[in-house]
Amino acid sequence: MTDFLVIAGCFLLLTPLLAIHRVTDFMIFCIFVMSFDLMYGYMGRLSFGHMLFLGTGAYGSGLFIKYVTGNPFLAIFMGIFAAGLLGMLLGTVAVRATGACFSLINLAFNQIGFFLVLSPLRGITRGEDGFGVRVSSFGFLNFANPTFKFCFVLLCLLLVFYILKRLTTSPYGILIRSIKEDETRVRFLGYNTFFYKWLTFVIAGCVGGLAGTLTALNYNFVNPNSMDVHSNVGVVFASLIGGAGNLYGALVGGVAYMLISNFLPIYIHRWEMFLGFSLLIIVFKFRRGIWGNIQDIWEYIQKRKGGRRPVEEEVAKK
Amino acid sequence: MIYTILYGFTIGAILYFISIGLSLTFGTIRVINFAHTLTYTIGVYMLLTFIGYFKGGFFIAGSLAVLVVIPISYFIERFIIRRLYGESLDYTFLATFAVSLIGVDTIKWIWGVNPYPLSDPIGTYLAIWGLTFPLYRVLIVLIAILLFFALELFFKRTIVGKIVVAALEDKDGVRCLGVNVNRYFSIVFILGSALAALGGVLYAPISSIHPYMGLSVLLLAFAVVIVGGMGSLRGTFFAAFALGMVMAITARYWSQGAETMVFIVMAIVLIFRPIDI
Repeated sequence: MTDFLVIAGCFLLLTPLLAIHRVTDFMIFCIFVMSFDLMYGYMGRLSFGHMLFLGTGAYGSGLFIKYVTGNPFLAIFMGIFAAGLLGMLLGTVAVRATGACFSLINLAFNQIGFFLVLSPLRGITRGEDGFGVRVSSFGFLNFANPTFKFCFVLLCLLLVFYILKRLTTSPYGILIRSIKEDETRVRFLGYNTFFYKWLTFVIAGCVGGLAGTLTALNYNFVNPNSMDVHSNVGVVFASLIGGAGNLYGALVGGVAYMLISNFLPIYIHRWEMFLGFSLLIIVFKFRRGIWGNIQDIWEYIQKRKGGRRPVEEEVAKK
Repeated sequence: MIYTILYGFTIGAILYFISIGLSLTFGTIRVINFAHTLTYTIGVYMLLTFIGYFKGGFFIAGSLAVLVVIPISYFIERFIIRRLYGESLDYTFLATFAVSLIGVDTIKWIWGVNPYPLSDPIGTYLAIWGLTFPLYRVLIVLIAILLFFALELFFKRTIVGKIVVAALEDKDGVRCLGVNVNRYFSIVFILGSALAALGGVLYAPISSIHPYMGLSVLLLAFAVVIVGGMGSLRGTFFAAFALGMVMAITARYWSQGAETMVFIVMAIVLIFRPIDI
């Protein structure tokens, strides 16, 4: 319970420092990083096409609003449903692969999706221009109000955090972490690893789709940038800088990445170079990310506290 | 239709130049080298610079550009790639991607973001049976075929090539024979980078030049490597020409779909023949 209050408090504290709509943006990105982290950090499958789910969510809900009804909650459901369905379909193929093959097959899917939205489905999706999303409001449930949007996204973030926390601490979570360590042994124990990998793929897809629908509702606008292949680097970077394989790490990494990408280009002209050098430092010296290092320091302090007493007693005995 | 086929062969030849190095590093040191097409871009920009000095001597400028790439690729190999031997795949992925980010940004710093045009350096046409072909494109295809045989000879006859082929099969076995495998890998890496630069130099006059040109080609090169089989020299050759043909034929009927069709082929290949690395 306390972690929820702390997370909500941290984001509320960010609002006076930055604009409220920017913090909403940060939180949506954090949801997306968490969904990526479930697949990369917990299951050990680095996908280079996770933006596909964000885009599917955004387009699913946006098209639903545009052509069917303006109800935002139905649209969110539709966006998640579309991303989940896509995850179910692609998961059967993608999950069989490991390592580089998994990354590249996802990249291929993402590229195909981007192309489909851009060109053959131009009639529906309006191609490169994208289309506006206009949602109807119910009393105080008004998505045009930035404060309501902020609260709604914060609720979504906490809900996703709760669900993923429950999932990753359950036997299922331990199972997918064991798949990361050694899949053959898990299969040897009699588990159907294919099913669990597929399930993780679908869950990660659904959460990514939720982030996509929220992006569409936040900007009131959908365009192919939400599915851009090259944006995948941002998610991977965020997940690593925060510390992969940990939900808190995903949150810290999401905020850190958004701060870097939003504010650094204002001060440093060569910010891509900075990103490159910091990625190199992360890979060679800083593998556990921000949260991992915080954990290390915390453990060290705990050890100092707890470890001193027995030693002192021994010294006293002598 | 004949023009389409020639176009397909040209694209295939360029893809072959670029992906051969990628395939070799994939097969030997198990590193997904995102920085591979960085050398391709650097080669093209070097060509631009040298062509200014030599007043249009395209072939001198081109060979100088390829030579300049060699120390750069050695630098990348020595300080980044060599530290990644035996690392888990995602870290190699990210480190090399970081290198390509730094490289692209440096290029933007030095040469600016604007695309440069470059005209066909030969300009003459070859007339056969009443059809005219641009001589330059025919030349590219011929160079690619020559290179294929040269590489076949290199890997069959020379000791360096033999060691690399053996290491593709079994790295530890070769190391047990007392061969310093890593030194040969760095030779292979430099060779691959120089060939990528050569591909860039040859392709530059018939495409547009901009700092991100490497990234768009990189995905195609990955597709070639996967379709052809990792570390397979002949597979890469045939896959490059097959995919080049796929691109050309798709582009003839449906110009936007050309690159995506390559990825569809790659996805199908991966579905039916998954690779484990």
